[in-house]
Amino acid sequence: MDTVDLARLQFALTAGAHFSFVALTLGLATLVAVIQTRATIGRSAVHLRMVRFWGQLYVINYAMGIVTGLVMEFQLGLAWRGLTDFAGNAFGSALALETVVAFFVESTFLGLWIFGWDRLNRWAHLALIWVVVLTAYASAYWVLVANGFMQNPVGYRREGGVLHVADVAAMLTNPAATVAFGHVLSASFLLAAFVMAGVSAYHLARRTAEREFFRKSLRLGLGVSLPATFLTATFGGIGFGLLQPGKAAAFNADPARIAQVQAEMTALHGPGDYVPPQGWVSAGGITMLAVFGLLFYLSIAGVLLMLFRRAVYGFRLWHWTLVGTIPLPFIAMMGGWIFREMGRQPWAVYGLLTTAEAMSPMTEGQARFSLIAFTAVFAVLVVINYWLLARTARRGPGEVSLGGAPRPTVPERPDPALTF
Amino acid sequence: MEILVLAFFAIGYLVLAGADIGVGMVLPYLGRTPGERREVLAAIAPFFLGNEVWLVAAGGMLAGLFPRLEGELLAGNPGVVVALLLSWVLRDAGLWLRSRLAARAWQTWWDGVIVAGSWGLALSWGSLLSGVIGIAGPPALVPAAVLAALFAAHGLAFAALRLRGTLRHRAAVLSGHSGGTGEGRTFALTAIALAVVGVLTGTRLPLEAGSSGSWLTPVILALLPVLVAAQAWVWWTFRHRVTGPSYL
Repeated sequence: MDTVDLARLQFALTAGAHFSFVALTLGLATLVAVIQTRATIGRSAVHLRMVRFWGQLYVINYAMGIVTGLVMEFQLGLAWRGLTDFAGNAFGSALALETVVAFFVESTFLGLWIFGWDRLNRWAHLALIWVVVLTAYASAYWVLVANGFMQNPVGYRREGGVLHVADVAAMLTNPAATVAFGHVLSASFLLAAFVMAGVSAYHLARRTAEREFFRKSLRLGLGVSLPATFLTATFGGIGFGLLQPGKAAAFNADPARIAQVQAEMTALHGPGDYVPPQGWVSAGGITMLAVFGLLFYLSIAGVLLMLFRRAVYGFRLWHWTLVGTIPLPFIAMMGGWIFREMGRQPWAVYGLLTTAEAMSPMTEGQARFSLIAFTAVFAVLVVINYWLLARTARRGPGEVSLGGAPRPTVPERPDPALTF
Repeated sequence: MEILVLAFFAIGYLVLAGADIGVGMVLPYLGRTPGERREVLAAIAPFFLGNEVWLVAAGGMLAGLFPRLEGELLAGNPGVVVALLLSWVLRDAGLWLRSRLAARAWQTWWDGVIVAGSWGLALSWGSLLSGVIGIAGPPALVPAAVLAALFAAHGLAFAALRLRGTLRHRAAVLSGHSGGTGEGRTFALTAIALAVVGVLTGTRLPLEAGSSGSWLTPVILALLPVLVAAQAWVWWTFRHRVTGPSYL
């Protein structure tokens, strides 16, 4: 592999790891906020315990989203200096606004939410989680404005060999950003909904003590999954109408259109290979669509079955199917990102800057060291975190440390009085 | 104006996160048992999440306002930047994971990772400082060591303000155990020293602003009061001394 491939692989692995955590963060934060709203208004004990349990999973997951995100932010200047030099004046502003409009507030308030659990007024505590949710959405939006600019550069002027912002509004309403935002956000709801349903189904299948707790959680997860599938498909469908010609041609494996794209690009930009890697593009797209189809049917079946209390408590085959479904939305999302990003190749900024030109002048040794170091650390951390998430999910609400000492569901027997 | 915005976030990071990095560095000195270490970590627990965002924001300002400097600073020092990021990632992972399991070996391991990550961060900042002021080779270790010592001193001063009893006594080694005012004065001194290092380093950077500042800077300036208010809410909520272990 040459230096560009090493740097691309590092970016792909860190971005993929980052997004798998971010997607669950976006969706789960929303569900936790909804439950906490219910708990706060109704002073409902079971909902309060649900906030702590699902909130615990959310917080474990959020931490990994941060550490992978830190590397994403600084990797741009580190390995892709050609990109920041050429387009930093344009899309860099979206990244700057992401940090101050979104992430700064999100993290500060999440810290208050976690550590201020019993110190704050319960309405203030509820307001915190909603601010965290909304700023998480804002964060996704700004990052997709940057990504959308690379997919479909708009609102720029070219001067002195570099790009500058010419029309802020055009950049912020770039369909490659707004449609992707709708798609990513609804897909995150879908993903978190299936995680919640799958974990709940595990406890129902195992007949653990928390029957009401997980019946409510299962119904919430499945109930959200159905509208989320419709939204995801709607935005995804609009997105298919916006594909770059090369991406569409590679996905459809249409030799005539591939040749046409190659000829048009060569006429515009000189000789070169302008066809995205077809295998990756079609495999990514097909994985996304096939897994989505499966999730769609599972969602419809789930919404019907959850209407019957006997099925909710007793239909174990269905429970274990839902447990096995947990990885599927993650796979669909990865497929979708591979489709989107591989399909943009060979461009870093579509039609303006190639990926090879976007690289920093790194030596192969530097690129290899950086790839190996980050991959090794993240591989270990990702495994530990998924293990911890699974363990926390399996142990159930009785052993949660978020929000103070775990409160037992059944009153404990009073300690025998000490006698001297 | 762009320079002031960048300086605000960078110096905010040095002073605020410098304290929690420093506490991580002196963790083995302050906390001699797993229980003590957890209480020491409780001193920084509610703050570290809100502290590191200052660096994320400073990075965002580089990306939006100083794109050329971003490339120069990061791509120009690849080894140090990779070491800095890895230390940051490992330290954060250690803080988040440490108390999720009750097993002693697990907690000792992650305590070690927190200490190593904190030292790694401090020394990486020191090396980056050497790089920026143009010192190479073995003499570059001097600014790195000085800055690391400053972070550690700042952490001790912060811990003295946050902890109680034996732990506070250990942390107050720099202020001569003179109690309330001495502790505050030491912290103010180390904070000012870090801010001065930040400003002096800034004067050696090629701070040539990009073209987005004309519209981006006013937007960011308008947001600053909100950001500071959010942070102030955290400081106010956790203004008292630590009374026991926290979530971390």
